[in-house]
Amino acid sequence: MKSNDMGLIVKTMARTTIPLIGIFGVYIVSHGHLTPGGGFQGGATIAGAGVLLLLAFGLSEMRKRYNHKVYSVLESIGGLTFLGAAMLGFSVAFFYNTLWHNGPVLNGQPGTLLSAGYLPIMNLAVGLKVFAGLVSALAAIAAYRRWKE
Amino acid sequence: MAFIAAFVWCYILWLVLTAGSNGMLWSAEELIAGVIFSAIVAYATRNIIGEKAGRFLNPVKWIEFTIYSIGPLFWGMVKANFDVAYRVITGKIKPGIVRIPVDLENDAQYTIMSNSITLTPGTLTIDACPEEKALYVHWINVTDPHPESSEPVAGPFEKWARRLGR
Repeated sequence: MKSNDMGLIVKTMARTTIPLIGIFGVYIVSHGHLTPGGGFQGGATIAGAGVLLLLAFGLSEMRKRYNHKVYSVLESIGGLTFLGAAMLGFSVAFFYNTLWHNGPVLNGQPGTLLSAGYLPIMNLAVGLKVFAGLVSALAAIAAYRRWKE
Repeated sequence: MAFIAAFVWCYILWLVLTAGSNGMLWSAEELIAGVIFSAIVAYATRNIIGEKAGRFLNPVKWIEFTIYSIGPLFWGMVKANFDVAYRVITGKIKPGIVRIPVDLENDAQYTIMSNSITLTPGTLTIDACPEEKALYVHWINVTDPHPESSEPVAGPFEKWARRLGR
């Protein structure tokens, strides 16, 4: 095959399934305090959507859509948000869950979405970090210049 | 338009996943979180889902998809399963790869057609070539090595694929 993408059927199915994989990964991340899964699992799931884009559409399409600076910034934002959530209750202790004990938000009935204090924030941060990290790692591997020097 | 299509597509899956958060229905926070996350995912994938994906938001098309999947597709799968069971027991097979000329226009039609052929046992789509308007199908029992239409391999699937993907 001349181009480095997959055939028409794989590409069309990738068009329909990439948004679904994305929203399913976000579901896993955002319900990390309620259901099995969490930041890493959901982030790896969303990164799977990125890998599907890379495999189905080929490296040339991935080059157009992938911006290294954006992904680098996203990964840093994920790490910094995690650290920021950990610092929220610093007046008592590091990693003190002040949002849960006396915070304005995220202290609802256990079992609902807006509960568990800083855990949803941390899950989202870890999910973002894992997604950006895995996608940029795999894009870098795919873009490695050639088999032999 | 592609953003709206991706958004609706994502939000439907979100509603399916989070059903039951308030009795049998959805709690308000799940609905709002779904809007936010679906918007983010739809914004990220708006260039991937395809420019003309908005045509699948037509409710008439959903009804047609439902009719197709519980009617011709399911019936075709049942028949083909029994046919393959017969071939497994008796061993009467005549495998081969056939080129089927099809009269389809866009990617969605080719995908629906190919997936329907692959889902019915005994036939397996190997490649779809839109430039020569043909599908290459591996067939377990070749009765016609050079078919003029998709009728002997796929039955009514081509007619349905043409309508569903339009």
